[in-house]
Amino acid sequence: MTNAIEIRGLCKSYQDFSLQNINLTLPGGSIMGLIGENGAGKTTTIKCILNLIHRDAGQITLLDQDNISGEAMAKADIGVVLDECYFHDTLRPRDIDRILSHVFSTWDSALFDAYLGKFQLPEGKFVKEFSRGMKMKLSLAAALSHRPKLLILDEATAGLDPVVRDEILDEFLAFIQDEDHAILISSHITSDLEKAADYITYLHQGKVVLSEAKDVILDRYGRLACTAKQLETVDPADLVRVRKGSFGCEGLVRDRAAFQRKYRDLLVEKTTLEDIMLFIGKGEAV
Amino acid sequence: MIGLVLKDILVMRKTIRTYAMFLLFYLVMTVLNLFTISFTTAILQLIVMLLPMSAFSFDEAAKWDRYALTFPLGRRALVSGRYLFALVMTVFAALCGLLSCVLVSIFDNQDMILENMMTVMVCLSLGLLYADILLPLCYKLGPERARPYFYLVIFAPIILLLAAYQLDFFGPGSLSFLSSVPDRTVVNLSFLFPILPLAGMWVSYRISCRIMEQKEF
Repeated sequence: MTNAIEIRGLCKSYQDFSLQNINLTLPGGSIMGLIGENGAGKTTTIKCILNLIHRDAGQITLLDQDNISGEAMAKADIGVVLDECYFHDTLRPRDIDRILSHVFSTWDSALFDAYLGKFQLPEGKFVKEFSRGMKMKLSLAAALSHRPKLLILDEATAGLDPVVRDEILDEFLAFIQDEDHAILISSHITSDLEKAADYITYLHQGKVVLSEAKDVILDRYGRLACTAKQLETVDPADLVRVRKGSFGCEGLVRDRAAFQRKYRDLLVEKTTLEDIMLFIGKGEAV
Repeated sequence: MIGLVLKDILVMRKTIRTYAMFLLFYLVMTVLNLFTISFTTAILQLIVMLLPMSAFSFDEAAKWDRYALTFPLGRRALVSGRYLFALVMTVFAALCGLLSCVLVSIFDNQDMILENMMTVMVCLSLGLLYADILLPLCYKLGPERARPYFYLVIFAPIILLLAAYQLDFFGPGSLSFLSSVPDRTVVNLSFLFPILPLAGMWVSYRISCRIMEQKEF
């Protein structure tokens, strides 16, 4: 099984922001969640992957093709859903079918129709009459109907109600049943990623601070709740970040089991992706 | 690329339908001898030239380019699609002009068909020339910032020529050499005239491609 995405040493600088030495591997047959606060570099990374912006350094391979020299070949097998629906208001789903059937050689109109039916999208209605949820489902139907091997989604579920999000997540899980398929999804909604993702990559201020299997992260990392006095007894090397409040202190523990063995009196709980984001985003270095 | 041209047509089908009504109106007026062929063909080209500009505006509003670049087509195909659309529209306007020439000659029984067709070819050349100039400007500046140039490119030569005529800039008899050019040469030249802006379209296309290559989305 090959890697769907391989990024090595990706750098991209703007005046006030830079992506620094991003390394990322998405194995085939899996879903990777790209998390990070606003402006952390998630969209910039996805834009680099799709060659929408020019990178300063690094190499990106998509489905065994270089994303620049083999761009057309790679993109033929990629479905993309960006943060909003980019179809013109004056188009109807059946127009999109006609347009995209000339764009993708593997476009399957019957499959597109099936998705329209599944998502309850009227084929004769104009895009401007669709709700945000319908627009995102239309984008997803368009992204899936040329039978891609890799799906790239940038905040595709943002602003959607839980029912629509769940429907879309189900579709991702169905897509990933084929072990040649893979999904890269950037999202703020960490609960969705906890449900669906196999791997998590956390970007913070343009750097990868965490990139591991989700289960490993959730099993290994822990949240320490203690008093300021107790915190002083902990070796700083055992903590990733701390948060100090008037009612107590919290710390992010890298190895929960080892920590618990070492500090039997302290309480370490399981943590969530959101907790990890909050610790790294808002916490202090130890 | 065909998909992209089809997209332009589908996105603007309402506008195209409205323009088609105008077109029909001018055609009827011309056949009824209320408008001249030169006026009608010039108006047709002018109307048609608005379409690629509108296509840029629609794409910008929908942020289409960012999405279209995720297709396995590449940046050049996006540019090619827009040029093909402009070319198809310009040639279509010229064909309508030619149709009006034929209809006028049938209904009016005038022997002006050659002269009228020459007018159509000159208008076609100007339409292509406008596309050559305006498309790279749209890629560079975006449709909103390029719009003043659209009016400048169209109206500046007219205003300059009128001003020169009013100020008697050419002087009496300074253009009299034109009458010594044989008719046959004038006819041949007018029919070869569109080749120049058509060749210019290649240069214009290359410039637009270069602008597009450097853009970030």
